Amino acid sequence: MRLFIVLLAFLFVSDTSQSFAQQNVLHFVTWKPEAAQVWDQAIADFERDNPGVKVVREIAPQSSTQIHDLLVQKFKNRDARLDVFFMDAVWPAEFASAGWALPLDRYFATVEQEKFLPATVSANRYRGRIFGVPVFIDTGLLYYRKDLLEKYAIGPPQTWNQMFQAAKTILSREQDRQLVGFSGQFKQYEGLVCNMMEYILSNGGALWDEKRMISALDQPAALQAVRFVRDHIIGEISGRGMLAYEEPESLALFTQGRAIFHRNWPYAWAIANDPASSKVAGRVGMSPLPGFAVGTGAAALGGWQLGISRYSRNPDLAWRFVAFMTGPDVQKRIALATGRAPTRTTLYDDNEIAAKIPQLKSLLASFKRAVPRPTTPVYVPLSNIMQRYFSSVLALPDTDIKEQAALATRDMNRLLDFVRERQMP
Amino acid sequence: MKSSHRLALLLLLPSFVFVALFSLYPIVDSFRLSFYRLILTLPWLGEKMVGWENYRDLLSDPVARQSLKTTLVFAAITIPLELLLGLAIALVLNESFRGRGLMRAIVLVPWAIPTVVSAQTWRFLFNDRYGLLNFILFGSDAARYIAPLAEPQLALVAIIVAEVWKTTPFAALILLAGLQAIPDDLYEAASVDGASPWQKFRHVTLPLIQPALLLALLFRTIDSLRVFDLVFIMTQGGPADRTNVLQFYGYKKTFAEGMIGYGSAIAVVVFLLSLVLSIFYLRLLKTNRPQGGAV
Repeated sequence: MRLFIVLLAFLFVSDTSQSFAQQNVLHFVTWKPEAAQVWDQAIADFERDNPGVKVVREIAPQSSTQIHDLLVQKFKNRDARLDVFFMDAVWPAEFASAGWALPLDRYFATVEQEKFLPATVSANRYRGRIFGVPVFIDTGLLYYRKDLLEKYAIGPPQTWNQMFQAAKTILSREQDRQLVGFSGQFKQYEGLVCNMMEYILSNGGALWDEKRMISALDQPAALQAVRFVRDHIIGEISGRGMLAYEEPESLALFTQGRAIFHRNWPYAWAIANDPASSKVAGRVGMSPLPGFAVGTGAAALGGWQLGISRYSRNPDLAWRFVAFMTGPDVQKRIALATGRAPTRTTLYDDNEIAAKIPQLKSLLASFKRAVPRPTTPVYVPLSNIMQRYFSSVLALPDTDIKEQAALATRDMNRLLDFVRERQMP
Repeated sequence: MKSSHRLALLLLLPSFVFVALFSLYPIVDSFRLSFYRLILTLPWLGEKMVGWENYRDLLSDPVARQSLKTTLVFAAITIPLELLLGLAIALVLNESFRGRGLMRAIVLVPWAIPTVVSAQTWRFLFNDRYGLLNFILFGSDAARYIAPLAEPQLALVAIIVAEVWKTTPFAALILLAGLQAIPDDLYEAASVDGASPWQKFRHVTLPLIQPALLLALLFRTIDSLRVFDLVFIMTQGGPADRTNVLQFYGYKKTFAEGMIGYGSAIAVVVFLLSLVLSIFYLRLLKTNRPQGGAV
């Protein structure tokens, strides 16, 4: 019995000593950054400016889906060893409604908010309050092999069909079995929803009707877009391997010179043009995504924010860290090192950035036009229904798209009805 | 007598506390939660008792039915393969040859590697462009390369291959222990009677390792019904939901979607499934235990 008490006492003592030591420790959950040294340096600078403070990083998986699930587990356990975390553009509503993300209104003043691209800030708002600070904006972009397009005197495509035709022409002339026409992200995961949303929106459709809160996947515009992807992208110019690809695999294909067109986020620019990581460095072009008609291109608004956990024991210090990491200085450093697009508008006029990433300024228009995925606390279950639907019709070419869309619509509407009938009091 | 009794209890206490805390409590709490509607992202709905609602929903949920089917197919294919291959390996390792100790250690390697690592390795092997599998099958003829993890009909096969590779050593280990417990004089007596090697295997080895076989079957069944990590790393349930095994579906519901009640109901189903099968096997194990079997 005495042993047991000693053990208990030991547990108790070790626990308090740990929490004592944690007074000035910030736990930061992030994914593996592309330019690790920039982040290391920024964190080191923060620690130097705040003596006695230590930032402990936990590196989560690259996949948005997996970092989401990791964070949810931590919140569910009210884990105090989570202060600051990265948040994908679609999570703020969910994390806010669950009470996991700390409202930042008292820290993040309106004057300060106005210094950011408006769409990136509004993605962080839920029921009038603000829950995150955008670090960089992500939108889908079209990368292409400048050299191959020039070789066949083809300009950057403005419509999906132009891209499809260009890919077919080049593929048939090049006769290179290693080469595919297009690489994107079509694995059953969150990225699939982003990719498919871009086709659907650019055809005048939507994932769901946000006014009436019903699914729009069964509408003709959406059905048509999905059919195009199945028959022409997966069926002809991409190949079925794409159905297992997330960002890293699809980017690798492009940087190895094995894809003519590539859909990715802005971060791919720096990697694709770095001779150490890319065989096509210097031969890469970038443009806004095509649409089904000229000028209808729609890019999914992605992007990552920093949020603070409700269970953080150190919200003030956590905010100092968030403010530092989203400040103009760190954003600029990240942009220069990785090509990630900053969220602060002034940085688009910065000379150094303009010299390093000349096309960034021209992308400002498509950043301003980027469409956020609809915000709702049940985004994840809706997304899972959509992922299941998209993956099924793309991977099984014999399925009836209309029928599958009707099933997905029914499931989505059931969930949306459930939430509408039980609004927060 | 009395103090030794107390000592025994005291010594048992830590393991009891451990089991109660990490096994009993979660199981009981999953049962309880499976009767509630609790959605983490809609906290204002509270924790509402809904009776059998989650189970009724589960019965009419086509995704759940599909994932139950996937799980059962997975178990029905992997378990016999693992036992057969495991038996073959165990029989070889039971013979005396040079380097047997080394071989025994090497055979165990797949089992010793953390699943996350081996799953990741298999994912690379199955890659449609750089994967070793395609290189072995088709050399540099890229036009014929296949993408197992992207094909609804092949993704589950790929996971089955990884699972069999990973857990066959475990079956082999248990069966080897069973083989070693068979006394040599039985084989000698069989030789005197003029039995062929096949007859020896059929009438001496097989009956005597039956308890070990059943034990391996029991462990493998429980494990394969709750397969999770390979799916998590290799496919995330796709493509077309064809590798969405029950345990992964339950995980998605609980931890990604925050539907605690519904996810718990799925967990309870997986638990009951393996419980029923375990009881069945344990019964068999009891009635089939031959005299002298060591396991």
